[in-house]
Parts: sequence; C-alpha cells; structure tokens
Amino acid sequence: MASRRRMLLKVIILGDSGVGKTSLMNQYVNRKFSNQYKATIGADFLTKEVQFEDRLFTLQIWDTAGQERFQSLGVAFYRGADCCVLVYDVNVMKSFDNLNNWREEFLIQASPSDPENFPFVVLGNKIDVDGGNSRVVSEKKAKAWCASKGNIPYFETSAKEGFNVDDAFQCIAKNALKNEPEEEIYLPDTIDVAGGGRQQRSTGCEC
Amino acid sequence: MQEPELHDLSDDADYAASQQQGSASMMRSDSGKHSSSSEHDGAEVVYMKDNVTIHPSMLASERISGRLRLIKQGSSLFMTWIPYKGQNSNARVSDKDRILYTIRPVPMTDVRSIRRHTPALGWQYIIVVLATGLAFPPLYFYNGGVKEFLATIKQHVFIVRSAEDANVFIVNDFQNPLQKTLSSLEIPRALSVGSEPSTSFSVGEASVDENQERMSVDIQNDNINISQYNERQRQKAHDPARDLSIQVLEKFSLVTKFARETTSQLFRDSHSNGYGAIERRSNSLSSIDYPSQKASDDWDKVPDKSPVPQDPLEFDKLSLVWGKPRQSPLGSDEWFTFLDSEGRIMDSEALRKRVFYGGVEQKLRKEVWPFLLGYHDYDSTYAEREYLKAMKKAEFETVKKQWQSISPEQARRFTKFRERKGLIDKDVVRTDRSLSFYDGDDNPNVNLLHDILLTYSFYNFDLGYCQGMSDLLSPILFVLEDESESFWCFVKLMERLGPNFNRDQNGMHSQLFAITKLVELLDSPLHNYFTQRDCLNYFFCFRWVLIQFKREFEFDKTLRLWEVLWTHYPSEHLHLYVCVAILKRYRSKIIGEQMDFDTLLKFINELSGHINLDAVVRDAEALCICAGENGDACIPPGTPPSLPAEDGLLYPQQELDDVL
Ligand SMILES: Nc1nc2c(ncn2[C@@H]2O[C@H](COP(=O)(O)OP(=O)(O)OP(=O)(O)O)[C@@H](O)[C@H]2O)c(=O)[nH]1
Ligand SMILES: [Mg+2]
Repeated sequence: MASRRRMLLKVIILGDSGVGKTSLMNQYVNRKFSNQYKATIGADFLTKEVQFEDRLFTLQIWDTAGQERFQSLGVAFYRGADCCVLVYDVNVMKSFDNLNNWREEFLIQASPSDPENFPFVVLGNKIDVDGGNSRVVSEKKAKAWCASKGNIPYFETSAKEGFNVDDAFQCIAKNALKNEPEEEIYLPDTIDVAGGGRQQRSTGCEC
Repeated sequence: MQEPELHDLSDDADYAASQQQGSASMMRSDSGKHSSSSEHDGAEVVYMKDNVTIHPSMLASERISGRLRLIKQGSSLFMTWIPYKGQNSNARVSDKDRILYTIRPVPMTDVRSIRRHTPALGWQYIIVVLATGLAFPPLYFYNGGVKEFLATIKQHVFIVRSAEDANVFIVNDFQNPLQKTLSSLEIPRALSVGSEPSTSFSVGEASVDENQERMSVDIQNDNINISQYNERQRQKAHDPARDLSIQVLEKFSLVTKFARETTSQLFRDSHSNGYGAIERRSNSLSSIDYPSQKASDDWDKVPDKSPVPQDPLEFDKLSLVWGKPRQSPLGSDEWFTFLDSEGRIMDSEALRKRVFYGGVEQKLRKEVWPFLLGYHDYDSTYAEREYLKAMKKAEFETVKKQWQSISPEQARRFTKFRERKGLIDKDVVRTDRSLSFYDGDDNPNVNLLHDILLTYSFYNFDLGYCQGMSDLLSPILFVLEDESESFWCFVKLMERLGPNFNRDQNGMHSQLFAITKLVELLDSPLHNYFTQRDCLNYFFCFRWVLIQFKREFEFDKTLRLWEVLWTHYPSEHLHLYVCVAILKRYRSKIIGEQMDFDTLLKFINELSGHINLDAVVRDAEALCICAGENGDACIPPGTPPSLPAEDGLLYPQQELDDVL
C-alpha cells in the first residue's frame, strides 16, 4: 500500500456565505463543530486520508468564501477538481436558489473536460435548526432540482450535530474517484471511509 | 533544510593571501582559539576566526569567506579580514570582488563603533563603522564567535556599550561620545569599504582614507554636503535620529549590487514625499563634489552579475535584520508633548514617525487612532473635536434611523435589505468571539458591530456590506468603545480600503499585482520561482491584503500593526512591503521544499499566529527604503490604501446592479 502512489482527490465546496461549508469540512475531517469559525476569507483546504480497499487516497477538500464578490477568485482554486459539493441552508431560500449559479459558475471557471458528467453532490445543511421548524426548502423540492441536473446525489446534513456528514463525504469521495481517468484507478463497488459501516439516509449516492 | 556548506579549509589557498599580507607565521589553529604567534614586526594574533563571510549581494550563494583576525602590535590593535582564494564552489565571486572587499589591517583607533546582530534565524554578524563614517560590509560569522571577538577587543581597547542600543559598541569613546559620532556617523558616503590589492603589510597606515573616493561609487552622482552637520548636531542631543544614522550607514554597508541604483536615489531625488526622516536628512545634504568620473570608471571594473542563484537551498540564510529597532509604545505623558495648549498636534510628521517606530499604548489608542485614520485633523483643537463629535453623532443617528425604521412588513418586500442584514448577522457572530470584548451570548458589542456595519451599508449603499468588513471594524470598536466614533473612523478607513471589496476586485488585483512587481524587484529568484510554479496570481496573499493581516496576528499585534501602517510613514503602501518581507522570511522554506500553489497557500494560511511582527515591520521598512522609487513604480496609481481620485464615481455604475 505504501509503495503505491497515493492519489489526490480534489473536492471543492461551494455555496452561499454562512450555509456551513467550513463547519461541514471541519466536522468531516476533525469531527468537531465550533461556533467560533470565522467567515472564510480567500480559500483554504483540509486533507483527509480515505481508505479504499487496499488503497489510500488523499481527499483534498477546498473551502472557499461564500460571498459572491469573491467568486472571481474561484478560477485559481477550482482547476483540477474531481468533485464539486454544493451546499445550501435548508432554512434560507436564497441559498437554495443560488445553487444553480454556483453550479454554472463552477463549470465555467473549472472548465472540466466533460461538464455534462462532472460529479456534483448537493448538501442541504442545518437541518437541526429549530427542530426543523424554520425550514423553508423541502426535501422534495431539493431532490427535484438534483434530479433535473442529472441526478445529483443529495444529502441532508447537520454540521453541528455531525448528522449524515460522513455518509455525504463518502459519496463525495466515491464520486471524485469516479472522475479520475480510467487507467489510474480500479473501482470496486464499495468504498469504506474511516472503516465504519455505512448506512445511507436521504437519496443517497446513486453511484 | 540543508546546512550551509562549510569550506574545508585545508584545501584553501588562502595561505598565499596571508603570506602576501605579511602574516606568514599565522598558525592554522582551530577557529576562534586565541593563538599567539609572533610575527616579524612583533605583531601578535590575539583573535582569529575562520569562515567569516561577506555577502556582496543579498544572496547567500554569492559570498566571500575569509579569515578575521585581531592583531596586536605594540600598544595598537588592528583588525583584518582576508578572503580565501580559490573558492571553486563559488564561481560567482570574482577575484576582483575578493580584492575589493579585503580588509587590510585597520587600527582600532580608526574604528568608531561595532554593531552586533544576532538574528534568531541566520548567522550572527557585525558591522564595523569607522571614525570616518565609512562602514565595512557586514561580516557574517558562519562559525559563531562574535562575543569572543568583542571580548578580545575589550581586553585591548576601550570599548563601551551604547546607551541607546545594547548591541552597539562604541570604540575609543573617551571624550565626547555624541559630538564625535555624529559628524562621522551621519555621512552616508560609502556603501562598503574595500582596498586595493596590497602588496605589503603596512600596519599603522590608515588604509581606508585613500580609498574613500573610489569606494563611494554608489552615490557617485549625488551631491553631498557635510558642512551642515555641526548646526544640526545641536538639535540632536537625544534624537533617536542619531541611531537612525547608524542604521542608515549600516543599510548602506549592506547595499548590494542589486539595490545599488535604487538606494542611491534615496539621496538624490529626496524631494518627493514619503521618506520622512531619512528624506529630511538627505535634503540637507547637498552639493559636495564627488569624483564621479573616477568612481564610475572604477565601478566598471566590477562585472555585473546575475542574481540567479545556483542552489535554491542556499537562499537567504541571512535575514534582513536591518530596519530600525522598535521602540516602546507612545504613552500619555509623551503624547501631551505633541499637543499645544489647545490640543493641536504641532508636528504631525514627528507623531507619525513616533507611532511608526513604537506604536501606541492601548489606553491611548482611543486618542490617537482618530488622527491616524484621518477622522480628526491634526491641527484641530480640543474644542473643535468635541464639536465634531457631537455633529457626527447626530449624523450617524440619522443614517442609522434609515434602516431602523424599516418595519418587518417592509423588510419582507425588501430583499436586498434582508440579504445584506443576513450577511452581517452571520458575520458579526463569527468575528473575534474568542475575545472577552465580543464573547458570550447577546454580547452588546456584537450588536454594536452589527448596527455599525448595517449603518455603513446605508451610508455607502453602493459598496454595501462585504465579508472582511467586520474584521476591519472589530478592532476599531474595541479601541474606541463608542458607536458613532467607531462608525466614522471605519468610514475613514473604508475610504482607503473600500476598493478591496469592489465587486470587480480591482483594489485587490492592483495590490496583488504590486506585490508581484515588488517581489520581482526585491527578490528576483523568488519571483522566478513563483513564475515557474505558476503562482504569480499571488492569491495566497489575498487574506493578508484584504483585511490588513487581521487574521495573521493575535489581536493585540494586529492593533499594533495597523497603527504602524496607518502612519503611512515610510510609505502609504508599507503593507505591500510587509507582504514581501514575510515572503522573504520564508523564501528558503518555500523554495527549498518546492512548494506548489496548493502547498504554498496552505503554508501561508498556517503561518497565522507565527509571524514575528517586529521583525517583519523592520524588514518591510528596510525593503521599502531599499526599493525607493523603483518600488513606487511597482505600485499602480490609486492602489489602496491611496485615497481615490476626487472625480468620478467611487463604484462604477455598471457594477452597482450586481452589488448587494
Ligand atoms: N445550527 C447549525 N448551525 C450551523 C450548522 N453549520 C454551520 N452552522 C453555523 O452557521 C454559521 C456559518 O457557518 P460556516 O461554516 O462558517 O459557514 P460557511 O459556509 O463556511 O460561510 P462562509 O465562510 O462565509 O462562506 C456559523 O455560525 C455556524 O456555527 C449546522 O449544521 N447547524
Ligand atoms: Mg467558511
């Protein structure tokens, strides 16, 4: 295992400011949630080792600033992405409406070779807030949009409670892997992230 | 990281050199050991150190190593440094250079002072300033031994520590320390002192003066008059400028070929704004005839060299510790000396300079920041400021009312307002919450942040709110502790930094562009590295620039840095030099570890909290002065924090539609 070249999978997290991108990334990589994350300025990334049968992959997760005004920076960071995660806040309609913009902006700036089949994953975050009572985007509506964009896998998450975050990232990793050139990888039908059993909630990963 | 290679001296042909110099009997003893070998003239070597090195340029790869000795003859002590010959490993250094930099025996009576530098990173070095005002280039002690060097001198000549700076040792200072030093130290005549290839060992013969003219080549076209010194000395009994003069000299002794032209401009075109004390000093230096013809002829002998180093790992082991040392922060008592009886600041330039070098004590910031930010005029009186405060408070309340009067009903139909408020809501609870000033639930100061930002987004509706603004406001509110005053100071700051937040990011782009140019100017190997690695967009500096290093330092350090930057003292754009200084500090790591864009970004993000503020400000000052006009030329007009031109819309109309 160690002798093999470790493959880097690059994942970009996009979405409006404050939807919880930084929180999700930290929950997944460091298994913690803090109320004190600062608004992201510029960009940063965390990496996590992902085991996959007998192979190790490095998931490089890029967290960027959500404010529209900084979007022009994206081009520097999006290039070479293997998967793009679109996040919205289920309690904020605008953040859902903007998913389309984020998706298009990403495709323009990253200009992947096969935009039609480029893997996206959508996360509806903050489902814990107010016991779900302040929710304004229904699961149904979100799934419908995902279906219309080529069956994008969809997850509902809470970065705060750590709910569904691992599952979502397993799917993300798997999709990122799928995006790699054929000869580089060998694709088994299960992926085991952090060794845990995996139970999928929501639509789950169609791959 | 790789250690600098040490030269195996057994292969060096330096014997030839030393023999030529008449020190044939010098024993090849272990470095640093006091060897007492008698010479033909009854001279005795009392100190010897190998691998003492001069860096003709700032590149560590370009260096001349040699042997430093103290020789005692009769009651006199001489210092000499002779480079090794035949250092094949260093083809960049020509024999001419070796000869040029050779220090033939100089009697200690000719030495004015010795400054010791012991940077945390890099080698220790000393700078020897002669009574004539000339300074030798820094001598780097690759194998240590500075302390021993000074101790040895102390055994033989009278040497005292300078009262102003514990690292400066004044030699032979029997009578009038100040008088004597001033006239000598202030002559920025020579950048380095070398000597002709000498054929005989001539102890006792001042070997420097005869070479002064030819060594002054770097300022060959400058006209310098030293006759006015006496007059100025009077004002300077306790002027820190005295120390500055040492600094200036040292800088000049450090000036490298690459910076030759830019630095000489310091003393030439000194009428442009922005150089403060150094400028004023040089203004009074006018018209002395320099034998420029001779000098330039001589200079031609030194071949120009490309600064591209062969081995990236050898880069920059030396640090740029040659700005002025930091002072203690400005306190209340001293503050009042800047004010006249009605509260006007009599010499704003002196104040700015004072703040630049020392910052301001926390409890005094409330008074000083409004001036630095331009909210108060320096020549306003106490009464005028009180009046302004009242007027501005009313004006603030008026703008604040504008959003306060929006009912929930109205807000429902006012998407832009809701979105803007939503952004601010989200950001204020993510701003400096670990500070007790902003921590806890329902903290009233967090609400103040919110109200000020929302008010600002109405005050300047075109610019609106953008992430990063809360980071800029937080320290201001923390310091001023007053809603309206904080608002107006923030307004002032945004007059300068607003373009950072423009939708088209033009302010950011011009700053990142300027950094690119400055690095190209001040560190071309690093620039080449970034070019190779496709890192020229400098996005890894984005956060530094957008919020003025707010996330890179602990809170109190940020306050210090900001007040220093706001003095605009050596330059309005000092923050860009701070960027360059930080990059230069870590250049050997960046290049040595062959960082790519991703790694570099990560590395820089993780520098947060680990950057030595004082050192970086000192370096930035030195770089800024060194870059001179060429540095200015790297910075496009209107680059923040320059005030925008009066005419025209601040935020071009076509962008407004997209702005929140
Ligand atoms: N209740 C709850 N709050 C969350 C959750 N995820 C994030 N938050 C909070 O939402 C706010 C924004 O979270 P961040 O993770 O900083 O948001 P972001 O998307 O990274 O925002 P930008 O960096 O501005 O683009 C913070 O105050 C978080 O504490 C969640 O799942 N549940
Ligand atoms: Mg974030």
